[in-house]
Amino acid sequence: MLKDKFYKTVANKRHPNESLVPTHCSYCGMQCGMNLRVDTSTNKIIGVEPRYDWPVTLGKMCPKGVTAYQQTNHDDRLLRPLIRDNPLLKGTKDGFREASWEEAYDLIVRKFQELQGQYGKDSLSVFSGVSMTNEKCYLTGKFARVALQTRYIDYNGRFCMSSAAAGFLRTFGVDRGSTLPWTDLHQTDCLFIAGSNTAECHPTSMFRVWEVQNRGGYLIVADPRETPLARRADIHLDLRPGTDLALANCMVNLLIQNGYADEEFVRAHTNGFDELAEVVKVFTPEYTSEITGVAVEKLVRAAEIYGKAPEAVVLFARGIEQQHKGTDNVSGYTNMCLVTGKIGRPKSGVATFTGQGNGQGGREHGQKSDLLPGYRKITNPKHVEEVCKVWGIKPEEMPQPGVSAYEMFELMMNKTIRGLYLLCSNPAVSAPNQHAVRAALKELDFMVCSDLYLSESCEFADVVLPTTSWSEDEGTVTNLEGRIIKINKAQEPLGESKPDWQIHVELAERLGRGQYFSHLTTACKVADEFRLASKGGYADYYGATWDKIDKQDGVFWPCKSEEDPGTPYMFLDKKFYHADGKAMLCALPYRPPAEEPCAEYPLRLTTGRVVYHYLSGNQTRRIPFLRDMCPEPYVEVHPATAQKYGIEHEEVVRLHTRRGEAFYKVKIIEAIREDTVFVPYHFGHDLSINLLTIAALDPISRMPEFKVCAAQIDKVAEKPSGRPQ
Amino acid sequence: MKQYLYIEMDNCIGCRSCLAACTQCGGHDERNRNYVYDVNPLVDRQTIPLMCLHCVNPACARSCPAQAIQITAEGAVLSALVEKCIGCQNCTIACPYGIPKFDEAQNLMYKCDLCYDRTKDGIPPMCASVCPTNTLQWVTEEELSMKKEQHRLGKWMSSREPFDPLEGETNVKISLPGILQGKQKLF
Repeated sequence: MLKDKFYKTVANKRHPNESLVPTHCSYCGMQCGMNLRVDTSTNKIIGVEPRYDWPVTLGKMCPKGVTAYQQTNHDDRLLRPLIRDNPLLKGTKDGFREASWEEAYDLIVRKFQELQGQYGKDSLSVFSGVSMTNEKCYLTGKFARVALQTRYIDYNGRFCMSSAAAGFLRTFGVDRGSTLPWTDLHQTDCLFIAGSNTAECHPTSMFRVWEVQNRGGYLIVADPRETPLARRADIHLDLRPGTDLALANCMVNLLIQNGYADEEFVRAHTNGFDELAEVVKVFTPEYTSEITGVAVEKLVRAAEIYGKAPEAVVLFARGIEQQHKGTDNVSGYTNMCLVTGKIGRPKSGVATFTGQGNGQGGREHGQKSDLLPGYRKITNPKHVEEVCKVWGIKPEEMPQPGVSAYEMFELMMNKTIRGLYLLCSNPAVSAPNQHAVRAALKELDFMVCSDLYLSESCEFADVVLPTTSWSEDEGTVTNLEGRIIKINKAQEPLGESKPDWQIHVELAERLGRGQYFSHLTTACKVADEFRLASKGGYADYYGATWDKIDKQDGVFWPCKSEEDPGTPYMFLDKKFYHADGKAMLCALPYRPPAEEPCAEYPLRLTTGRVVYHYLSGNQTRRIPFLRDMCPEPYVEVHPATAQKYGIEHEEVVRLHTRRGEAFYKVKIIEAIREDTVFVPYHFGHDLSINLLTIAALDPISRMPEFKVCAAQIDKVAEKPSGRPQ
Repeated sequence: MKQYLYIEMDNCIGCRSCLAACTQCGGHDERNRNYVYDVNPLVDRQTIPLMCLHCVNPACARSCPAQAIQITAEGAVLSALVEKCIGCQNCTIACPYGIPKFDEAQNLMYKCDLCYDRTKDGIPPMCASVCPTNTLQWVTEEELSMKKEQHRLGKWMSSREPFDPLEGETNVKISLPGILQGKQKLF
């Protein structure tokens, strides 16, 4: 166990007539340790206790974590399957009736078989998510390809992690979100954090971030807003949204120009230096300042600090990744580590703040349109053969690669896809360009949605299946470090709800594919098959047994055998995962955002999270404390901009883009650029900012550009009557 | 071993996890007893927690005509005793920091009790347990003296009059904003 300076031995608080179940939070990639309090007479979850002995977070939790337990026995939980007989009511909450599992399964099987009989196997699709265990994510991929036999499967990581994944794969040949354990962060000398509102999105990282400064180290933050993190930064690079690649290229240029490049490291362990140096040459501080709006002195000083730092970690998140050049931004910032050789050793490296609980593990094991378990490629015949051996199907039975999450909606619109099985995701809030997405969902002939609550996306379904909360099932997730950890079951499923892996098995049996699924009678059995399926892949989990996870406080992948303790540090041997063992320095010409401001839409709109909500808010908007703290979205505006538009604090304005409009209260604050406005994205229906966002996709990661588009504010004479309260 | 609640104001990110956690302490009836304030919300995102400071000579207890506010041997100033509190609200007026809250329905004052059912057994209070930023820390005497060497610890003063502030010894120790001022950089 990695114990650091913050670790204290503290006894758990024992409450009478209660037991404590150690587990992790249901929300973000930090996966903070927590103990769930279970009443021993009712066997129900009734509260939370800090898990002081979890080495990453030491009992710390954000307000979402503290109240996470309130999801399980919430009044809004779906307890029985729901069927809606009248398709005209799609897009509303109305018309659902309770049904038995048998009736729901029969209807699903009949409809799926009808559609596939008439329009072919690929007329069905699966849209999944990564706020669930590795076991469920793995089985979802197998369910799509073996039970439904469709090529169309993708997942909400396309709106979250896919640029980080694609960038790391291109640069390193492997995609592990962090090259070093989180317990190293506070020991480094410089943190360079780009496009991460760490304080609100990954709050339990913050004590380590502040400790770097407490030790006399430096904090450099690149963000269009002065977030609670940027407020204390030594250098705040307050760039225009969508200009990260220019900033990254400028940093690399200055590092090379000022002699901070580690020439020996570059020669021995990387390819592409000359091309990179050539491309970044034009990114002088002056030219970069024109593009990004960041003062020249700040650019120079930031590069000097990073260059001089004996040890440094580059961190980034959705701010740089949710752009139509997100992959380039990731490789661009990662170039800083490689050029200076600050990687492949303790206290130095690069990491992305994984957004979703299992954003790391969930993308590795076959929910992505082109991937199979163990980070294998569906286009690689050898990889297909390896997985087919575990699954018991013939390689020719493996479906072709599909398309990315947003592109699936386009195929629904043109009727290529006619049926959808949606689970663990709420794209009717979280996908960009909502008008098109909602129209596509309405266009479907048949839609099934598995959720624990009636989400906005459920409103488009014909059948809603009640699934369990995270606390009613067990399995593993992989946190933002790449550490495989164990989620434990604290109570029996509420009502008739079932874990998604069980739903997959039961549906597969009814679809006549039971021979490939019926042996999976427990989460543990799914885990055993999943470990085997990952064996030999890049993301090799074979040795990460539940027992080892328990004993070691988690296991970092790759973990190839029972004897292998796992890999907390990546690239210690300076061997990267490309065929020649070298990392790729990517030379990346700058591209502006897909939509630049113009006379009609002169503002830059960016979106993000608040500390009280998670993703589409389907869970957190139901928790009283979190709802009270942030009941509705708002538009953050600089006072100078507010003055220009003649708008006041708390006044309701119309915010609009080429794709849509919404009405928000104004929040005036100086801690944002004058040319930028910000709206949190956790809200549905008319309040969804994704009615306005643009679906410009990254050519590699297929990530939409949530983080920047052109917008305009209009004053409204009176509050529009249609605005939901 | 005596331990202290120690507050480093500058670390606060305004997540209000301490408020959420306060409701989770066994004896707190799911009501939080602490506060977090936006310092200057139209300007920046600085926030500060306001916790009961557990005064050595607490105005709330002194003002109580019914001796309903007990002080433990460790110095924790407790919520009003149900059987003694007469609901006069003297304490809410007397406290210079506005800490005690009043439940109209129960006719009863309630306030931070430093999670006494935890801290009496050496378990940190809920707020300091969960605080993601180490704004709120539960420290030993030894750790506290190290903090004192690093930072000049402030006394929380209330502005009764600018030149005659009300100032008292408190069991909760505070480092006011500016903890990085004068910090020697590593390079």
